[in-house]
Amino acid sequence: MSMTEEMLAAYADGELGAAEQAKVEAAMSEDPALARKVEAHRALKARLSAHYAPIAEEAVPSGLAALLVKPAPGSGAAEAGVARLAAARQKRGLAPAIRRWAPIAGPALAASLVLAILQPWQASTPEGYAQGDVAAALDTQLAATQPDEAETRILLSFAREGGDLCRAWRGADAGGIACRDDAGWKIERRFALRNAQGTEFRQAGSEADLLAAAQEMAAGEALDAEGERAARAHGWKRP
Amino acid sequence: MKRTGPSVPSAERQRTLPESFEKQVLDLLPRLRRFAIGLAGSRPDGDDLCQMTIERALARRGQWQEGTRLDSWMYRIMRNIFIDEARATTRRRETFVDPDAGLAVGGDGSQEAAVELSLVDRAMARLPEEQREAVLLVMVEGWSYKEAAEIVGCPVGTLNSRLVRGRDALMAMLEDAQ
Repeated sequence: MSMTEEMLAAYADGELGAAEQAKVEAAMSEDPALARKVEAHRALKARLSAHYAPIAEEAVPSGLAALLVKPAPGSGAAEAGVARLAAARQKRGLAPAIRRWAPIAGPALAASLVLAILQPWQASTPEGYAQGDVAAALDTQLAATQPDEAETRILLSFAREGGDLCRAWRGADAGGIACRDDAGWKIERRFALRNAQGTEFRQAGSEADLLAAAQEMAAGEALDAEGERAARAHGWKRP
Repeated sequence: MKRTGPSVPSAERQRTLPESFEKQVLDLLPRLRRFAIGLAGSRPDGDDLCQMTIERALARRGQWQEGTRLDSWMYRIMRNIFIDEARATTRRRETFVDPDAGLAVGGDGSQEAAVELSLVDRAMARLPEEQREAVLLVMVEGWSYKEAAEIVGCPVGTLNSRLVRGRDALMAMLEDAQ
């Protein structure tokens, strides 16, 4: 079938449903030019994200923030409270590990970032390896064939510099990128999403960010369906 | 400053102005500002756009429904102001983007990155506003097509084709420049 520019771009953005996604992948495996185009779309996105990222990291000009500080009549308390909170948040936001994520995080993630780092599930496995369902999905699931409603979905697989195989996944309220080493799937990056109302609403946006992050890590192109299958057969070890 | 409880942010949040409208907007500001500067093409213009957006949001806060997403509501206000302003600019000929002025977003000071960055700025400035906003909403701000279309107030298909045209134009310009 012929592939429209719209479909290719939507594929690169993680906007297609499973059926359409499969169609694009099939077309890409036959026509390397299509795969290159998708790569170009992703590269552009990564470049734009990186370009504008520093703005969201900067301190907001005090003049703007001041518009939002309520001049509470009769008490300076409310005002001070807001200012203090803002300052505290700013400080927290500057922790290097967090800051790295802020710029490419989607709307949902940015809003929930500060909450997310305090979630117990993160505290219990700091910088660790994938466990349980996630580890199982990383071991066994293939992006091309997994059921659409799988709780943990593999977004894509790729090799990073040095040859380690890495996979990006997402669940309902968390996702990340893990790379395989001798001990298992070491989680390199983590996205947390607040599991509030409207998950359906924001899914695609966040996923696109995760893909952009993967794109930055990847040494080459993402594995295609066949490459993934071969990698799984090889135990996800370096080729 | 006396602290009685453990230093848990959520506790602090509850103590002072829980979920106040102002504070929620304050939390959104870094993202809103990134969008504003991307749209307007420079920090000063972007900050002006931010200010107008905040003022309008405060004036119309009664129209925002608690429980619905504040962020998309704020983005919508901002893009509406921007589009209005951009149209007015053809009459007033100042404020926002001068396509040939180029360099702005990355070039506030004298960062060594300024030259590279200005390529993107220049290319973005040459896009029609509608394509620029589609590109920013999806590729920088991370909204899904559906969400972006709702912010813009157009059908998803329209958003999709603006996005594709914007992307193609950007890729062509950035390639040429290399």
